[in-house]
Amino acid sequence: MTLRRSTIAAALAVLLLYGGLILSLAWFLDGAAVRAAVQSERTLFAVRLSLVAATLAATLALLLAVPAAYALSRYRFRGRELVDTVLEFPIIVSPAALGAMLLIFFNNPLGEWIQDNVLRFVFSFAGIVLAQFVTVLGVAVRLLKTSFDEVPAELETVARTLGATPRHAFFTVTLPLARRGLIAAFILAWAKALGEFGATIMVAGTMAMRTETLPVAIFLRLASADIEGTVALILVLVSIGLAALYATRRLLGKAVHA
Amino acid sequence: MLEIESLTVAAGNFRLRDVNLAVGRGECHAVLGPSGSGKSTLLNAVLGVLPSESGRIRLAGADLKRVPIERRGLGYLPQQLGLFPHLTVRDNLTYSARARGVPAAEFQPLVDKLVAATGIGALLDRRPATLSGGERQRVGLVRALASQPRLVLLDEPFTALNESLRRELWWLLRELQRERQLTVLLITHDLAEAYFLSDRVTVLLDGRVVQQGEKAEVYGRPAAPEVARFLGVETLQPGRVVSVRDGLATVEVGTARLTALASPGTVGEVLVSIRGDEVILQRDGGAVSSVRNALPARVVSVRPGSPLLCVELDAGFPLFAFITRPACEELDLRPGVTVNALIKAPAVHLIPRSG
Repeated sequence: MTLRRSTIAAALAVLLLYGGLILSLAWFLDGAAVRAAVQSERTLFAVRLSLVAATLAATLALLLAVPAAYALSRYRFRGRELVDTVLEFPIIVSPAALGAMLLIFFNNPLGEWIQDNVLRFVFSFAGIVLAQFVTVLGVAVRLLKTSFDEVPAELETVARTLGATPRHAFFTVTLPLARRGLIAAFILAWAKALGEFGATIMVAGTMAMRTETLPVAIFLRLASADIEGTVALILVLVSIGLAALYATRRLLGKAVHA
Repeated sequence: MLEIESLTVAAGNFRLRDVNLAVGRGECHAVLGPSGSGKSTLLNAVLGVLPSESGRIRLAGADLKRVPIERRGLGYLPQQLGLFPHLTVRDNLTYSARARGVPAAEFQPLVDKLVAATGIGALLDRRPATLSGGERQRVGLVRALASQPRLVLLDEPFTALNESLRRELWWLLRELQRERQLTVLLITHDLAEAYFLSDRVTVLLDGRVVQQGEKAEVYGRPAAPEVARFLGVETLQPGRVVSVRDGLATVEVGTARLTALASPGTVGEVLVSIRGDEVILQRDGGAVSSVRNALPARVVSVRPGSPLLCVELDAGFPLFAFITRPACEELDLRPGVTVNALIKAPAVHLIPRSG
């Protein structure tokens, strides 16, 4: 087999794997069950909760990721290597372990003090956002750092010789030139947060109409052997996720393969 | 205008050492050197991107040590030009005014003048990516000058262009520089560019200033063998000063004897440096002339070149002469032909041999 053929076969195998998984849902697809599940108040709550929490988590992650990624891209400072290494931490450690670590943190004196005096995270909406935020932050920083790396530092130097302060140069030159990476990082962080399950369930639990996000709802339906309901919710999640990825491609063009 | 005193700058494992340099108001000063000589390190120190270990940089009398880049009063045109790709040409040109909060009425007349002088009026609404190399250079130049800098820093700005476009832009830059009395620090490894544009030259090698002065002085009288080699002096031969009388030195080079201007320190073993364009070739003898060195020489080869041909001669030592093609045809120069090589005494430069 030629290189061309074998590599194309591998690419199609990827499509077959994911496409096959989605198509296999059809076996248990029940129109009435889908309608019932989609129209139920509990599902609508889960969708709303997932969308709001993911949007909030992705926004907060970017607010921290943008300056952090810029620092990693432009400056040499003590601890830089360590920060760079820790970005992969959420990928290496499973989301469940990450969630467990958060839960353990909120049971130590500092965590308890935060819970009592700042914001209650455990078994709450804030806990969902925090769990998603912690899961997606590293990826967001990594993506943004790559985007900032691609903007020549010399453009900032030129901007500064033209009278711009470092902040003005960042906002008028660097950030606009990194905008594609910024949009891609936001949408991917958002999509990852939307599908987040392990960390969320550890920190926020599985309380119906309180902390039940879409992935949690899928888990609960499956746990109660409601296959048709599970399929219906998976389809909702897949639709939202695919719509987000499609929007990414439309926004960024074919140059960025999200 | 720009004074650099005993400047030492470290950049990674490289160190630029003890640089002294002065650029007067309205002067173009070229810093020449091969890659890795420290040109960019010097530029970055003046820009404020690299801190100095010791020494001082002053611009218009003010010490730049604690002055941030944006307040140094610099116009900067880097090798890659640094045009902002997401802005139109117009927005690139007015970036400085917007960054400084200068009202349009104040900066627009100067921008308009520069746009007209460089012929980029039709490009204002285009993005840099749609411009040709020459157009981009002009835009970069106008942008650097539009902020009315006290010092213009040019970092090999014409390297990427073809020969004819480069020369066209050299003329444009020289006109602008003279007309607007711009103070320019030009960083380049291109000898022709430095010679054309600058008034004075500093030669940097291995992080040190090895020669500095008027361009004609530096080009004609390199201070050290490595400078002569870098400047591409065609004839560079070991010789020995055998006598000095009335300010003239007699030098043995190979089997020939040359007369040169004597200078302090040029005794004993020397390197004889003669530029190819200082050698005149003559056939069939000739009338008596003031030229002190008339060497019988045999043509070894004639190398093609544009616009000058390089003639390699055996004059008792290898000697190179640049002549035009018509002159070559008129003299019927080909290998084996015998000619007289005429070199005025001041064109024979003696470099003390170190070690």
